[in-house]
Amino acid sequence: MMTKSDDEFLDDIFGTAKAQPTLVPDDLMARVMADAQSALVKPDGAPKQSLFAGVFDIIGGWPSVGGLAMAGVAGLWFGVSPPAALSTWTAELIGVPVSVDLFGDTTAYFAETQIDG
Amino acid sequence: MSTSTGSWADAPDGAILLAYANGDVEAARVLSGRLLPRVLAQATRMLSDQAEAEDVAQEAMMRLWKIAPDWRQDEAQVSTWLYRVVANLCTDRLRKRRGVSLDQITEPADPTASAAGQIQDNARLSALSAALTELPERQAQAVSLRHLEGLSNPDIADIMNISVRSVESLTARGKRALADILRKHKSALGYDDD
Repeated sequence: MMTKSDDEFLDDIFGTAKAQPTLVPDDLMARVMADAQSALVKPDGAPKQSLFAGVFDIIGGWPSVGGLAMAGVAGLWFGVSPPAALSTWTAELIGVPVSVDLFGDTTAYFAETQIDG
Repeated sequence: MSTSTGSWADAPDGAILLAYANGDVEAARVLSGRLLPRVLAQATRMLSDQAEAEDVAQEAMMRLWKIAPDWRQDEAQVSTWLYRVVANLCTDRLRKRRGVSLDQITEPADPTASAAGQIQDNARLSALSAALTELPERQAQAVSLRHLEGLSNPDIADIMNISVRSVESLTARGKRALADILRKHKSALGYDDD
């Protein structure tokens, strides 16, 4: 249970705390203003990102561009000069292309028919 | 947009904060001039440590700058929000101090010292801050807002998001607990024992 004396000495300590002058040091104000400046997001002043820069960011920047370039060069090389192993592998996978002459010798027959009328 | 300090004189804090969020750095200067002294005073009274109080004040203001773009004027007062942030940051700091003996802080002041009064005041403030570390955090916040900041119970209820009845209970229990803790050091703090 608090006595009257408890109230008095506590209130005195509270009063001492409240009476302390508080001056904001210049360097604290400077730090707070520097924070305000750095935290400020300028709605109009920020440079707008170009479409290229946006796409560049989406695909992952330079590391991804390097990978894409390597893949492109490899694809071009396989197209120009496919390795033998690749030909065998594709033949097994999708089969060997075969050309079939559906008309055979009949072409000459039709040609003759048209000439003879 | 650049605005002179004078034109902000009657503007509410929330309006100035929105101006800052829209890119007006001068608005931040006005708001700092208006709010930082109170923020620093609250932190100093709770922590009784100038360096720590400055850190807390800077952190509280930084949080204000960051929330500025999302600030909704109709929902809260900037001052209420700041009281809450500073109280929370201070109780975080007080929690980390737990375990420091009050005896280490309340050394009797040397009566022959030229600034004996100030030394005794400092001892009392340090003892108060140390005693706050021994209170449950909500009690420490309620007591400091009521008895150090001098706020009304409804204002404290708003800041702490609790009912006025809970504020009354927290401040009463907190003050009683503070008295129990500090009573043992009354003589060291320059008060006559009963």
